Amino acid sequence: MKSTKYSEKVLDHFRNPRNVGTLEGDDVSVGKVGNPTCGDIMEVFLRIDGDKITEAKFRTFGCGSAIATTSMTTEMVIGMTLDDAMKLTRNDVADELDGLPPIKMHCSNLAADALHDAITSYQRGRGDDVPEDEKKADTSTECIIVGQDEFLDKGVWLAVDNLKEFEDQRTLVQHTGDVSVQQALELSDVSDRVILLTPENSVVTTPDLEEQLENSRVKILYESRLLEIRGEFEVEKVLILNLDEDEDYELFVDAVVIIE
Amino acid sequence: MKEVYLDNQSAKPVDPRVIEGMLPYFGEKYGNPSALHTIGDIGTDALEESRKSIAKFINADEDEIIFTSGATEAINLGIIGYAMKNKSKGNHIVMSEIEHISIHNIAKYLERSGFEISKVPVDKFGRVNLKKLERRITDKTILLSVGYASNEIGTIQPIREIGKIAEEKGIAFHSDAVAAEGLMPIDVKRDGVHLLALSSNDIYGPKGVGVLYMRKKFRVNPLMIGGGQERGLRSGSEDVAGIVGMKIAAEIMQKEMPGEVKLFTEYRDKMIKQILEEIPDSYLNGHPTERLASNTHVRFDGIEGESILLSFKDKGIAISTGSACTSKTLEPSHTLIATGLLHEEAHGSLQITTGRFNTKQDIDSVLKAVPDVVTRLRDLSPIYKTKKV
Repeated sequence: MKSTKYSEKVLDHFRNPRNVGTLEGDDVSVGKVGNPTCGDIMEVFLRIDGDKITEAKFRTFGCGSAIATTSMTTEMVIGMTLDDAMKLTRNDVADELDGLPPIKMHCSNLAADALHDAITSYQRGRGDDVPEDEKKADTSTECIIVGQDEFLDKGVWLAVDNLKEFEDQRTLVQHTGDVSVQQALELSDVSDRVILLTPENSVVTTPDLEEQLENSRVKILYESRLLEIRGEFEVEKVLILNLDEDEDYELFVDAVVIIE
Repeated sequence: MKEVYLDNQSAKPVDPRVIEGMLPYFGEKYGNPSALHTIGDIGTDALEESRKSIAKFINADEDEIIFTSGATEAINLGIIGYAMKNKSKGNHIVMSEIEHISIHNIAKYLERSGFEISKVPVDKFGRVNLKKLERRITDKTILLSVGYASNEIGTIQPIREIGKIAEEKGIAFHSDAVAAEGLMPIDVKRDGVHLLALSSNDIYGPKGVGVLYMRKKFRVNPLMIGGGQERGLRSGSEDVAGIVGMKIAAEIMQKEMPGEVKLFTEYRDKMIKQILEEIPDSYLNGHPTERLASNTHVRFDGIEGESILLSFKDKGIAISTGSACTSKTLEPSHTLIATGLLHEEAHGSLQITTGRFNTKQDIDSVLKAVPDVVTRLRDLSPIYKTKKV
């Protein structure tokens, strides 16, 4: 079956998604799931009155079935009790859409997970005894980067003296404080591909640098850790761990800047 | 509603002049070129005429042309056939990171058969780094494979320089010319290519026909064993009608390429300029100038390629994307990743490839649709923020 061979219902929800948007308020809970490898990120917003879902909204970055399944999920849960909504599965959503191509069942059908995430965080918020999931790797900065010494002066830089050498170089800057942010900004004047990598979900720095970063073309990689520098003879790529997803992947770069 | 077709990289319509020229070979001229009677001779003549024409198309000699069932077979025969034939000389092969997926898969197969493969990184535009390429060549290296141009992002490689390196090092140079044929002159002598793959459909001939150019003294082992056709290198009765189709396609292409390339370049430059100007947070993938005339490849922050494709489909426009969700493996395009993109960036790409039968109206209709599609999908997206003013 072609991966884009969708049912009419899927196409309808893709073309005319229901309940797009966000919700705000004390009675609102948000659930989020994402799989960066496959490229789907879904957010589900629920307004909850006692044990009942009174309103649901969503936003999705993803393929046709990702958009359709989130849309359908929000439509299905409005009016449901929290217990019933917790029982809603990916298969229920797929069935309601008259099925999905098999290859899409896993990664673009995460809407039910986002829903459950929203409900659990609501229940936890009001003090229910909900078991913790054991996930969440520690985000403390660990300092061993495989290959850092091997590639020193072969694409790994502990300081930047001559910006010219970075022209057109895809450069990864490890966030190690304000100096590294400053450095990333300077590098972005000579290269349109500067990536600032941080294990946190925001870049902690001065308000001034934060604003400059906002308006710059520096690409920020949040919740990420540099595991390894790879290449033959010199830096050619890096291995990065996405801490949120606990998944690693390779990124092609020409230079790595680690200011200690 | 007439479908606007802007996915010429994936398949092209067969030129009506080609179809007309092929027709007699299904009916009255059905002979097998291996047969020695008059009916067979007609087939032999057609086959040999075709061989001459196609040799001329790439500045080769006619005895260097081997007909196959398509470019994939030509690439298999060129790479696997050469590797097997020369196993005793060495087991190391160098290729670029942005070869066509079929070559990456052949590399996996050869690795399982005891060969070692080194892949050469490309720069952010997708151009092979010659210094890195040269450094990967060892005394065990027997073969180098770099395509003329990328079938995805359209970046043209410095083929002549790579040919020179192969010459100096005394190793065979294989090049997949499928994406480039018909869009730039291919000259195996000038460029120092020893093994080269061509497809018929990519020059508006029928599908199911291809060619391996094999320079003298760069012999391959056959993969298809049988009655000894194509000098024993590709057995099986020749598809004379298809081969004649490819010949006519090549002859037409030789005449019409300069005009087509000029027109496609105008279309391409207009599309790239207008899209990048109109859509905030949009970027060009591939090289700004060293790129195939037919290729426009852009990406948009915050949206995903399959959704882009489906939205265009609803508007009656056929385009392509580097998104994982449209592939068989759900992996993002290896080519976009090799240029240094992150997965989520590689997902949001739009590939437009023009062809002989496109009109200015087709270009206008896609340009009209782009802002609608991007705006709607961004409104749905949780990761697109209009932070930059």
